[in-house]
Parts: sequence; C-alpha cells; structure tokens
Amino acid sequence: MTVGEPPSQPPGQPPGQPPRDPVEARLDFLRGRAMPVNHDARTISALAANPGCPRRALMDAAGVHKHEIAKHVGLPAPYGLSPFARSRGNAFEALVKDDSASLLLALLRQHIGLDIASAHYEDLSRVGAGESTNLRHARTRQKLLGADPGTHTMFDHPLLRLKVGGRYAFLEPDLLALHHSGRWYVVEVKSFAIIDGQADPEKVAAAAIQSAVYVHALRDLLGTDPSTGANLVHHETILVAPENFANKPAAAKLDVRKQLGVIRRQLNRIASVESLLDAYPEDLTFDLDPDPDGRPRRAPGELRGAVETVPANYAPECLATCELCFVCRDEARAHGDTGALGKKVREDLGGIETVPQALGLARGALAPAPEREEIAVKLRHAAQVWEQLTGQAV
Amino acid sequence: MIGSVAETIEAIERRIDELRVAVREAVLAGDTALATAQRAQLSRAEQAWEAELAAIAEPPRSAQLTQRARPAQFIEPAQPAQLTLPAQPAAPAGSLLPLREQVYEALSLLQVPAAPKLIATVHEAFFGSTFPTTRVTSLKRDEERSFRAAPFARPYYICAALSADYLAPSRGLLAVSTWPLERRMIGSLSPRVDFLTAAIRVAEAIERIPEPPSAARQLLQRFAQSIPGAMPGASTAPATVKPATVKDAAAAELTVHTDADDRARREAAERARQLKQPEQLFGTASFREIAREAGE
Repeated sequence: MTVGEPPSQPPGQPPGQPPRDPVEARLDFLRGRAMPVNHDARTISALAANPGCPRRALMDAAGVHKHEIAKHVGLPAPYGLSPFARSRGNAFEALVKDDSASLLLALLRQHIGLDIASAHYEDLSRVGAGESTNLRHARTRQKLLGADPGTHTMFDHPLLRLKVGGRYAFLEPDLLALHHSGRWYVVEVKSFAIIDGQADPEKVAAAAIQSAVYVHALRDLLGTDPSTGANLVHHETILVAPENFANKPAAAKLDVRKQLGVIRRQLNRIASVESLLDAYPEDLTFDLDPDPDGRPRRAPGELRGAVETVPANYAPECLATCELCFVCRDEARAHGDTGALGKKVREDLGGIETVPQALGLARGALAPAPEREEIAVKLRHAAQVWEQLTGQAV
Repeated sequence: MIGSVAETIEAIERRIDELRVAVREAVLAGDTALATAQRAQLSRAEQAWEAELAAIAEPPRSAQLTQRARPAQFIEPAQPAQLTLPAQPAAPAGSLLPLREQVYEALSLLQVPAAPKLIATVHEAFFGSTFPTTRVTSLKRDEERSFRAAPFARPYYICAALSADYLAPSRGLLAVSTWPLERRMIGSLSPRVDFLTAAIRVAEAIERIPEPPSAARQLLQRFAQSIPGAMPGASTAPATVKPATVKDAAAAELTVHTDADDRARREAAERARQLKQPEQLFGTASFREIAREAGE
C-alpha cells in the first residue's frame, strides 16, 4: 500500500481556526492543496453512471481534480464535450427557444396538455442585466417558490442548487414547465436525433439521468404538496430532440424514477462518506505537491500507488463518464480483470474476477470452489467447442 | 451624438488620406499587387465614410442618394480599369439603406419588439435583403451612445424592450423609441402576445403582396407551426399555409392573453415613466454596474 507524503499544511485550515469536522478535514487532506472541483449536472450524473466504484465516490466526495491526477500519472483521458457538439447543441436549443420558446410551447401543449392560457415565459438566465450565480439562484428560488400556475408556465434557464459532499453544486436545467394543475416538469433539450421514434439508448440514458438530477434538485427546493403529500415535481421529464433527419424538434417523455433512486443513493453515499474513508489509511492523499507555479512535483509512481489504494470498478462505460478512465483501464487490463471486457462479460462469468482465473477453470487447471462449480462446467464446455472448431487449445 | 459620430468620420477621413498616399506610393513603385490591395482598403474606407455620413444626414432618401453618387473623383486616372469596387460584404442582396433603417423597416412591419434573428428574417422576406445578426448587437449600443450625446436628435432610435420586473433591457429584443412605452414592456405573457401579434402582422403583409416570395411563406409557416389551429391539416408545405387561417388562429389565442398582458404592461410602464429618458429607452443598468459605481 503506497501512501503519499502528507501536505505540509492541510488546506482550508488557517492556523488559529477551530478544528473542523474530522470527515471534512480528511477529505480536504485527501484532495491536498488543490481547490475542490465544482460539481455540475454532468458530474453528478456521472456519479450515478457507476455507483459501485469506491474510487470515484471517494474522489468526488473530496472534490479531487481527477483530470489533473490522470495527467500527472501519464494517462490523461480525452474527456470533455467536443466544441462541435457543444455548438450544435447550443444552435438546436436556440432554435427550440426562438421566439420565446414558441416551438417548445407547442410541444408542451401537445405532450403535457397545457391549456391555452398557460403561455407565460420567464427568462431566469439573467437577473436584470446581471449574471452572478448567487443572484440568479436567489431569483430562481424566489420565482419558483412563489410560482402560481395561473400566472407562470415556463422558466427558462433557472439556476438550482444541490448539496453534494458538503458543497453546493449549481445546476441549470434548460427549462422548467409548470402545468396548470400545479405539477412541475423538467424539460431537457438535446441535439441527438430521434429517428423513427428511436434514439441512441446510451444518449437517452445519459439525458434521463441528467434530467433526474434536475428533478432531484427541484424536489429538494419545492418539496411535496402540503395537502396531498404528492411530489410537486413530476417523475416524468420531457426530452426535446430533433426528429428524424430534419432540425424539427420533437418531444418524448422519460420516466426517471429509477435514475432518481440511483442518484439519491449515490448522494447519500457521498454524504455518509465517513464509512468509506474508514477503510483507508489516514495519511492517504492525492495531493500533487505543486510548486509555486502550480507544476506538480509529486512522483507519478507514488501518486499512482495512492490512487490504486482505493479500488476501482472499471467498465468500458467509464470511458464516457470519468476522467480517470484510462488509469483504471490500464490497471484493470494489467490485473486481467474481467470487468475490462465489459459489464456483460463480467456478469456472464459471475464471480470470476480475472481472465487468468477464467482460463484456468476452462482448461481444467484450476479446481473450482464449490460456488463456481456451475460456471466451471460451462467454461470447460466452451473450451471444448472452441478446440473442436479451431483445432487449438484454449 | 454629433461629437462621437464626427469623431469616427474624422478617423475614417484620416485613414482615407493615409490609404491614398499608400496607393500612390505602391503605383509609383510598380507593385501592382500591393496597389490593388490598398485600393480595395481605400474603397472600403470610403464606403464606411459614406455610411457614417448617411447616418448623420438623417432623411433616408439622402442616405440612398449619397450611396449612389459614388465618388468618381476618387478613381485615379492611371489605372481606372483596376478599380473594381468589392461588393460590400455586410449588406448583400443590394440593400442601400443603413442597418438601422433596415431594422426600423422590419420592426415597423412587425409592430412588436423582436429579436435580431426575426428582424433579419422579416427584412429578407419582405424587403429583399438581409444582414448578419451580429451587427445588430453593436447597433443598439451605437443608438444609446448617440441618444445620450444628443437626446432626440434623430426622429427615432432603435432601442430596448424592458423586462417588466427590473426594467432592465430584455435579452436580445429590439424596439423603436417612438412606440408607446407599454408596447416595449415585457411581462411574462408578453413574449407570447408579441409572437401572436407578429404572426398577424406577417400574415397581413403577405395578403398585401400578390405573389409573396418563398421566404415570406416560410416565415408564415414558422409562425403557424406553433399556433394551435393555424396549420392546414397534416400538410407542412409552406405554400399550403393560408395567411387568413394564421390570422384567425393567432387572433383567437390572443383574446385569451390580451387582458392579463395589458394589465402587466400598463403597470410596468407606469413604473418606467419615473425613469430618466435614456433608461426609459435603453433600460436600467445592471446590478454589476450599479455595484461598481457604488464602490467607486
């Protein structure tokens, strides 16, 4: 177990200050001297993408700059949204929201049955002419808490807030719609196409989880109906995307109850990070030991050792959601983890953790434990079929 | 206004003088490539000068005339054939009017505050020329500067629509200073009301033209798509959208919203009347600006 040199002075704890919450102090120590990373809808959705990964959970709770770490150990991920995708997304959103979101209003009337009188539109992307985050959030709170279905319908770019690991993350849904019945809908505009009623399942899943983050944050703010106890925010969200091969927007409803469950669990896990921390040595840190110019001085090998102290749960899906993906992939391949071949393979091989183990069982070289008896038979059968077909031993 | 405009004109005049010297030197040196390049720059500078002049000399007709009476005296006798005037990239399709007048024309047709994109589309559909919307951003700033330097020196200004809550400029919307203040107030229903009103104005404008151009029909279809009952059945071809149907459908929805919207606008306009003239036209300053001023 390799553990890094502790930073000479823990960050965020000026001398003379009263001692801080021990969990927070440990998280600060884990992060080292860097400022914590701010979460946004994308990073919170990514939390839910691989809920079984202790490495990610711990690093996100501490607000560690995963990208910087990956870069310093020599395996940076080409992570982030392509500028082309970004400008395409912005252009499509502008189209949908042109003329005060008239196209979007038509879609909402069709899909959630807004009545004709509900055509109010409020732009919350600025307060007056100001754009400060706190001001915008305060304005959003004031507007949403005081919203009346008779005089409010659409809220463009509100700024919500959600507590993640002790810090607030600001979230900006594309649009919120208030139905005249008093229920709220989260509207997400995406630029991937819905062709013949079908869209890329991965992208839809990502959109669903992102919308679920907004639903969660909005429920956090609005709570439940005091008279009926029902949630004021609907668990169905509205996805707006281009239809077929034209740029014409179409809408679809997404049920995000499952994603909400995952997010809630993951956020609780971050909140109860204490138990996760207990498993690791107290002097574990991901500090980069930057020189006065911000250049990391810590030995990459040592940092990698610290990273590997916390186990990862790598799957190829991580490549789309995590900055550390190449580090974990490299590690998973070196260990021959079955997970590196995909979640499907790992599930099919139920309980067998490495490729050499699987091969050993298939060749009959390893004696299977009683609980692996069944899978060992299947593997030996597969090896026989392989040998008959190719004439080569496994 | 006069101060700032005169200053820009003077800067352009200095630049023109410099460019003439540069052209002469290039011709004398026998460097035809450089001479051509300098001439192109010179002619652009002259066009900019004409445009500025037109902006000062307000009446729109004179703006056209000064543009047409292009300066034959600037053509140097040595190589008259080479002086091909580059097409003005900012105003394609032959519009001779300055940008502010094009915006004014389109807004006068719509009669409601509109975003630059819609203004450009309307101008293309009904006046046969369009302009890049990016230029409109600086237009509002120029108008404000001009108004603050010499208030009401021009018959109209392209100004802002104001959000009803903070009376700050409503994002991206342009309006005309001569409109009633109520029309420039944007409450929560106003975007929809303005959209429907614009649809009616566009439909009426199309009815007045015997053979409406396809750009106009497409614009009408764009409106019709988001007004209930305005599209003729399942067909989405622009040619099948009837102006009368769009007008009726928009008017029907408008009756639902008008009362509430009028109230909100009147109330906001009452408050706006207490502002100083420039703020009435261009909106109150941002919180950041106020904070900065307070800090100083």
